[in-house]
Amino acid sequence: MDFAIPQDYQDLLASFRSFLEREVRPVEEFYAVQIQDDVFTEEMREAGLALRRKSAELGFYAAHMPESVGGQGLSNLGSALLVEEGAKSGLRFGAFVLGPPNPEAPNPILMDLPEHLHPKYVEPLVRAETTMCFALTEPEAGSDAQSIRTTAVLRDDEWILNGRKHLITNGARADVAVVFAVTDRDKRASGGITAFLVERGAPGFVVGKHQKTLAGDTNQAELIFEDCRVPRENMIGELGYGFASGMRFLNGGRAFIGAMCVGIADHLVRICTQYAKDRHTFGKPIGKYQAVQWMLADSALEVHAARLMTYHLAWLVDQGDYPIKESSMVKLNNTEMVNRVADRAVQIYGGMGLLTEGPVERIFRWVRMLRIVEGTSEIQRVIIARSLGL
Amino acid sequence: MNIVVLVKYIPNPEGTPEMGPDHRLKREGVEGALDPGDEHSVEAALQLAGSDGEVTLVTMGPEAAVGALRRGLSMGGHKGVHVLDDSLKGADVLVTARVLAAVVKRQAGFDLVLAGVESTDGYTGTLPMAVAELLDLPNVTFARKVEVADGTLKVERQTEAGYDEVECPLPAVVTVTAGANEPRYPTLKGIMQAKQKPMDTLSVSDLGLSAEDVKATQEVMGLEPVAAKEAGEVIEDPEEAPGRVVEFLTKAKVI
Repeated sequence: MDFAIPQDYQDLLASFRSFLEREVRPVEEFYAVQIQDDVFTEEMREAGLALRRKSAELGFYAAHMPESVGGQGLSNLGSALLVEEGAKSGLRFGAFVLGPPNPEAPNPILMDLPEHLHPKYVEPLVRAETTMCFALTEPEAGSDAQSIRTTAVLRDDEWILNGRKHLITNGARADVAVVFAVTDRDKRASGGITAFLVERGAPGFVVGKHQKTLAGDTNQAELIFEDCRVPRENMIGELGYGFASGMRFLNGGRAFIGAMCVGIADHLVRICTQYAKDRHTFGKPIGKYQAVQWMLADSALEVHAARLMTYHLAWLVDQGDYPIKESSMVKLNNTEMVNRVADRAVQIYGGMGLLTEGPVERIFRWVRMLRIVEGTSEIQRVIIARSLGL
Repeated sequence: MNIVVLVKYIPNPEGTPEMGPDHRLKREGVEGALDPGDEHSVEAALQLAGSDGEVTLVTMGPEAAVGALRRGLSMGGHKGVHVLDDSLKGADVLVTARVLAAVVKRQAGFDLVLAGVESTDGYTGTLPMAVAELLDLPNVTFARKVEVADGTLKVERQTEAGYDEVECPLPAVVTVTAGANEPRYPTLKGIMQAKQKPMDTLSVSDLGLSAEDVKATQEVMGLEPVAAKEAGEVIEDPEEAPGRVVEFLTKAKVI
């Protein structure tokens, strides 16, 4: 058993670190005041998108996508390492320059589109010229995703979609949406749900309400389909098996959300350790008190364990496995872990931890959603329990 | 055009350097990288070499120093030479220059030697000149722009006031500033290709150098931290401040 990170990946990470330091950090510092005030303007988003296009040119942004559509064909492990590195930097703009686990970025599920549509839809996403969204969740179907009500009916040479999606990340901005709809009411998850690629501006496709979350952003939106017409060829994969392929790619991507949690938690441990050395109370650094030492020791331990689980999951996917249990374990463990680490970080920073201008408050708020999105902690436990035969 | 680039592997430039018991920088067992300054000379070499030229990267250092070559090769360099020899531990500038000059001499038909202005760890800024002297080649320092036209090297040499335009025959040794270019980032493809590129590992005897040639001429006797600056004087009264500043500057004979 070899736990060493392959040299190629170490070199790729070193190159990516140079990119973060030389390209991303100056932009981050330019907008330091706004970031401190937790403001994210349209101008900042444009700056982030420019960084993203540069990252795409260099092959970082969509490294996880196959070479045939302009990606690098980077393995799951290599991609997870990149995601961890980006999150470890603690840079707000770091989230722009890597595809996974951002649902705006090209998703391998698109490779199930007919090949002649790849240049039209997939390649611009890989070049970061366009963005997408993943429209599965509905007001009446969150965790119980197979209960979706949006329907698709084939009429002549077009699919007619009707229904409403909500909490769709990047829904308002996406150039294309991967939309899941019922094509056979009786079969549902067993051959009755199909995925479609719907272009922004398709007749009958309306963006509804922008939804603001506790993280402070308004990146979620409602999508409404009213007799929305979609070309017949825009079906992704096989008729009726959209749900299965959606779940397959959600599972395949669990290592990325896991790696992001590891990176964020690693960043928090690092800044908290430094703070514990610098901050003095009663004549000595707070890091000399066991109360603080234990919090940091627990966090460091949990980051290490989560990292090993994540790399193992990524490796399993690279072996061609379909690791349902391990995917759920990583999603559950790492999202809960980063919340505990963020909670301790606020505690270690004390009053400074509560201030929006401090370095941990925004992270504490933001990581909370990770226990909900892409399968709640409870759903992950259900899946793990099912793997035990319960 | 065939270009040799002298590169150095240094302890992580983002980290805090550690000193060893011999009063020298700890280089083994610490994370390291290609000196960021050298990335500019590699980039300059790649641009000058064009599609038919060849860029050879040369380094001297412990096993890990091969990392500097790997980075340069993944940027697009063509081959690497690593001088690895226990007897070089603690080598000073002159010894390093002798070794690197001996490697350059072995590169048949080279047109140009490029190097960074100074290393980010040692900061002596004297090695490229020593190499030029040993090779009996002209040396141009602080190049912010390097061009070759009709077999002549044309350099814009950065100065405090602006820049000098310098011409000299080839081959020559040139040091490249960080302002000269934006180094490219190694891509996954470049990293994979670098693994297939030729890499020579040479010892001191391979270079035809004697034990005497590589014996350090300098010894570090001790090491002390730089004395902290004394705290300045703060004048808080705005009425009093201008007069006090004028008084201070007059005393310092500035005005």
